[in-house]
Amino acid sequence: MSARRWLPWLGLAVVVAVSLVVGAGGSGGPPTDAERKTALASELRCPTCRGQSVRDSDAPAAAAIRAEIGRRVDEGQSDEEILAYIDGKFPESLRLTPPASGVGALVWALPVVALVAAVAGLAAAFRRWRAEPLPAPSDDDRALVERARSSGP
Amino acid sequence: MNAALGTAGVTLGLAGAVLGVVVLAVGLRRRRRALAAGEPPAGAEALLHLGRPFAWLVLAGAVLATVAMEIALVTHDFSLTYVAENGSRATPLLYTVASLWAALEGSIILWALVLSGFLAAVAHRFRHQASDPLVAWATLTMLAVAVFFFALMLGPADPFTTVAGAVPADGPGPNPLLQNHPLMAIHPPLLYLGYVGFTVPFAFAVAALVTGRLDEGWLAATRRWALAAWGFLTVGIVLGAWWSYEVLGWGGFWAWDPVENASFLPWLTGTAYIHSVMVQQRRGMLRVWNLSLLLATFSLTILGTFLTRSGVLDSVHSFTESPIGPWLLSFFGVVVAVILGLIAWRGDRLRAPGRIDSPVSREGAFLANNVVFAAFAFVVLLGTVFPLVVEAVNGERLSVGTPYFNRMTTPLGLALLFLMAVAPALPWRKASGELLRTRLQWPAWGGAGAVAGAVLLGARGLAPLLAFGLGGFAAAGALRQLALSVRAARRRGASVVAGLVGRSSGGMIVHLGVVLVAVAFAAASAYLTGEEVRLAPGQSATVAGHTVTYQGMNPPAETPQKTVFSARVQVDGGVVYEPALNRFPNATQTIGTPSVRTSLTDDVYLTLVAMPEEPGDPALIGVLVQPLVAWLWIGGGVMALGTLLALWPGERRRRVPAPSPAPAEERRAGGDAGEAGEAGEDTPAPAVVGP
Repeated sequence: MSARRWLPWLGLAVVVAVSLVVGAGGSGGPPTDAERKTALASELRCPTCRGQSVRDSDAPAAAAIRAEIGRRVDEGQSDEEILAYIDGKFPESLRLTPPASGVGALVWALPVVALVAAVAGLAAAFRRWRAEPLPAPSDDDRALVERARSSGP
Repeated sequence: MNAALGTAGVTLGLAGAVLGVVVLAVGLRRRRRALAAGEPPAGAEALLHLGRPFAWLVLAGAVLATVAMEIALVTHDFSLTYVAENGSRATPLLYTVASLWAALEGSIILWALVLSGFLAAVAHRFRHQASDPLVAWATLTMLAVAVFFFALMLGPADPFTTVAGAVPADGPGPNPLLQNHPLMAIHPPLLYLGYVGFTVPFAFAVAALVTGRLDEGWLAATRRWALAAWGFLTVGIVLGAWWSYEVLGWGGFWAWDPVENASFLPWLTGTAYIHSVMVQQRRGMLRVWNLSLLLATFSLTILGTFLTRSGVLDSVHSFTESPIGPWLLSFFGVVVAVILGLIAWRGDRLRAPGRIDSPVSREGAFLANNVVFAAFAFVVLLGTVFPLVVEAVNGERLSVGTPYFNRMTTPLGLALLFLMAVAPALPWRKASGELLRTRLQWPAWGGAGAVAGAVLLGARGLAPLLAFGLGGFAAAGALRQLALSVRAARRRGASVVAGLVGRSSGGMIVHLGVVLVAVAFAAASAYLTGEEVRLAPGQSATVAGHTVTYQGMNPPAETPQKTVFSARVQVDGGVVYEPALNRFPNATQTIGTPSVRTSLTDDVYLTLVAMPEEPGDPALIGVLVQPLVAWLWIGGGVMALGTLLALWPGERRRRVPAPSPAPAEERRAGGDAGEAGEAGEDTPAPAVVGP
């Protein structure tokens, strides 16, 4: 392959690689306190509402949890400490991220298994198609092509 | 009076649907017998032509029921339970009219109305082919679906029950959230047009299975119907996101709420369908798969309605609960069983002899697209029902929320963007490396430019950067196709517009809209900055480079409907915005109304979190800055425009004179007609339903 062909693609790869290294690597230090508060509040379900997170809800219970998170972040507690405190405070888990262990792990694993199975199935189909010879065109097929040719565009 | 009128309408609709099913079934049976006996089936065909009047009868019943309910709502006829629960004299007319879909029973009326509208449209469109068994079976299927929904209205979800005892003088009005924004008047009907619209291709798919006419005729007959339903669903979903952004006050537009997921699931399978159907039209392959996608789309609309209307899942949309859950679940079960039975019965005819030569080809890309869309739908469905299943199995309560969906769907979304960039450039059958290098070079530079530009502008983070890069790649790819199509149109002496009309150019414009939505979604979710600031009158705060100044409260505005407490907040020393809290007379909680400064670069989203205790005290104001949000709505508009262009009959569209009884393999002779030839293509598959 001549240089003229692959040089533009090499340039392109360099541009993308450099941009991604700069952009994905230097994401500017640890998250700020405000970012941590938002992130923690979006990890939790509002206990009194239907299907809203603590961040999104304007219910009093959600506001109370937000205030508690805010206080504890300002006190310098870690994310794990705050989540553990809230886990202990409520009888049911408020976590919106299903646990990666126990039954909860299924919700993470099943899609991956399904995707792998689908891709494997497709790969097998392609291999089978490649192994089979193409069926020879029948007389009907030839006649059809002839008709199409003679009838013009 | 209104109750009697409405019940009469529902009864008329049900009777029309039941009779229609019976007449068509008898007609189809007689026709088969006559043909088997070698007699002319004229009498049977006359029966089949009766399907159309019955469709109109069903429509008349649905219109009557709708009109009765609207009259009852507008004239405040509180003798109807529905009006007593969802109407009020203080509600403005627009929201009173829209109360038809504010609660379950009314929304079933809307469903029945849309369904019978589609039914009548199908009967009218195919009126000259009414004696064709395919059309007759499709009409029969739609009538059967109508029987179910009308029966719901006579039984468990009767909208026309009357209140027991004294008629109340006034009602509470619809849920406050549903009377806060005019989008409420158009978002649900559009969504229903999409949801219910998929009944048409579904009915034809069932008809194709029953009649064994599994060639591409039914696909061609329903292509525009499926596309139109998809377009309505798309616009409905985007408007729903917009409504939630403008009304709910949390600054988001998508929360992976079960009802949102319920509308998104048929969209995902429907999108997969309108792509893979092209493989079948072109190559006669993937028949079972296409049928399954359509059948999945239809059953997911029913399952979604069950999940969200039966109260089994917590959702902000669960405005009412009702006992129709078991009915919907049973209907879902029947639909799935019938479909699986039909596919199993026709299994032998469904095998197409074709094959896909190479994964690096147009059909290979469509296959990959389908795998990713199916995985996407699987993740969304699994995440939605998982808490239910776990609780049913071992009583454990857990939540599957936004963090799960975001983490799982981000890679799938990126994969779809990549396929969107590459697939349009791939030829059918097989692509050579040389060809790919030529066709993809400029689009790839578009993607590289987007990544580099985003990094220079300060964007950080791998996932958003990949979204921008692949978005740029896909957008450049779509623009390249459009340019080729326009050039081809000019070359044959047609106008530029002619190059933009038709299936493939319309599709590319839809792709551009998708890219806008994807990029806006990635940017808005990755780079939002939010703070709650306590400001005394005259004080300012700066959030993400925007200065907000609290100027004080307006005097409370009282209307019979609600009392509005609004704050005056100036953004960047310019326009004053007025986020508010509304107090509705019959609700305990206040409902916020956000106020948004929208621009093409970023939105400043203001909410009044807490009112000041005394007029001069500080107020708590929520300030949320998100980039590019406006492009979500613009992207939605572009997708709608692209759908319209794709629906527009291309100039190469020809009517094929005679019905072709020949199997589909015959048309698989031609190869790739070349790239320019594909522009504006509208494959003239032989119409089964010939004139």
